[in-house]
Amino acid sequence: MKAETEYKTLVDIARSTGGLKSVLGDQDAVYVVVHANQILDSNMLPGVDIEADETEYGVKARITVREGVVVPKPVHLCFGHLGETGRQEINSSIIIEKGARAEFLAHCIFPNAARFVHAMEGSIEVREGGSFTYREVHVHGPEGRIEVRPVSRVELKDRASYRGEFDLVEGRVGDLDINVDVQAVGKQSNVELTSKIYGKYDDSCKVTDTIRLLGEGSSALVKARVVLRDESTGRFLGLVEGAASGARGHVDCTEIIQGNASAEASPVVKATHPDAEVTHEAAIGRIADDKIEGLMAKGLTEDEAVDAIVSGLLR
Amino acid sequence: MKESLLYLDGVSVSRSDADILSDVTVSVQPGEITGVLGRNGAGKSSLAYAIMGLQGYLPHKGKIYYDGQDITGWTITRRAKAGLTLAWQHPARYEGILVREYLELSSSEPSEDKLVKALNLVQLEGNYLTRMIDRNLSGGERKRIELASVYLMKPRLTILDEPDSGVDLLAMGDIIKLFRTMAGEGRSVLIITHRDDVAAECDRSYLICGGRIVLEGTSEAVRRYFMSQCRPCPELEAEIAPRKEENVEGRD
Repeated sequence: MKAETEYKTLVDIARSTGGLKSVLGDQDAVYVVVHANQILDSNMLPGVDIEADETEYGVKARITVREGVVVPKPVHLCFGHLGETGRQEINSSIIIEKGARAEFLAHCIFPNAARFVHAMEGSIEVREGGSFTYREVHVHGPEGRIEVRPVSRVELKDRASYRGEFDLVEGRVGDLDINVDVQAVGKQSNVELTSKIYGKYDDSCKVTDTIRLLGEGSSALVKARVVLRDESTGRFLGLVEGAASGARGHVDCTEIIQGNASAEASPVVKATHPDAEVTHEAAIGRIADDKIEGLMAKGLTEDEAVDAIVSGLLR
Repeated sequence: MKESLLYLDGVSVSRSDADILSDVTVSVQPGEITGVLGRNGAGKSSLAYAIMGLQGYLPHKGKIYYDGQDITGWTITRRAKAGLTLAWQHPARYEGILVREYLELSSSEPSEDKLVKALNLVQLEGNYLTRMIDRNLSGGERKRIELASVYLMKPRLTILDEPDSGVDLLAMGDIIKLFRTMAGEGRSVLIITHRDDVAAECDRSYLICGGRIVLEGTSEAVRRYFMSQCRPCPELEAEIAPRKEENVEGRD
């Protein structure tokens, strides 16, 4: 009975957030629902193998999308905990085989967490010609302080592409330290990492994205959109290294601060091959007057204009 | 003044301890297209910002009256709600905001038909509604969207700051028709421009130079004076140059 309540709460939240249509409950879609260290529900389809084991604090999963398989609907991974205190650890190993294509939506739902640790450690391998999109959406409660520690190691083979998106804009961020490391070893491989974070109160938001473009003609875009208000702090480090002929990379960071918040951005670009090109841009500080005044001239108040600009940036 | 929709009475605005507008008196009548013509750096945009009430452009001397009310101390929002708006020379980019959402801000009863019609009036197709107002739109496209937004807002007075910038000549003809349509509906337009051919479309014009109104008259008379007698003035250029450097990013 308890598991049914937890399942319903997690699924209801997942269905109402994240922008993508939830496939939870759909028999023609792959999904897994995990509360604490219990697998509450799952659905498998041919071509996508998921082996998951419950561990002391969470789940260990090995996921493989078989060669040439194109998964039509997003694979939905729903992780959560409804308690105020505790720890959840998710360990995952994802392999996208040759020519396979898949999109994963991972919901991490902690609506009541006050003193909680959520750690994720994942390895992702996208093989030749494969395409993988991984979107992680966090939903935290309005109070409390949760420690979020997602760590990902990604390797891309020839012509493989990876899109990673991390969204934490609902509820408190807590203490976030996200670390993504991508090795684009394959020729013509492509990677895009996007982080969208809304820090409030005394939240601490740290994002470290590192990409090494080791394959000929590989390319990368690192994008961070961070809004910080109250006493929150933010630190963004985006490093792209162009280490192969024709490698192209770009780091794009926008951090808006309000109130007593503070932000630090370090877009680091590095070229270790003479035919590589890596560029960066960073804007940090308050919202430009012309943006606010432009909306006020339509009749919005200053606060309404700021809200509209922030909502757009984090969309 | 009593008949004027907008009346600036001896307005002076300073930035960094120097007047950028000095004793400016300008009026706009209901249903009239009024022009303010001047060279780059003459104070045209500063005049637009002062009328709209932007921070840093509030008069230290003189008053601004709109529809008979002293609006000198009003916020931008209050002015906009009263039917006064500004179409910016360089409209801002809004990452994540759709053209549809931007236009809906300006329309009390937005409908698909109304939004598409407004876009068509500025030579844009309806499929722009699903695009973002971000760096993927050119300056000219954002300019046209800004004009469409103003059209939907149906303000009593629109200030058009350099409406031709970023817009090609063919589209400019349609945009001028748009001003005429607005004026025909009893709405007033104040056009800020450095182009004599755009000023020629106005019912009446002012010539601004060094932050001062130096001439008022028919558009043709002001245009001729501008074309024949306005030459770069070394003394004036030297005076204006430091002010140009003070300009805020995104504003001319």
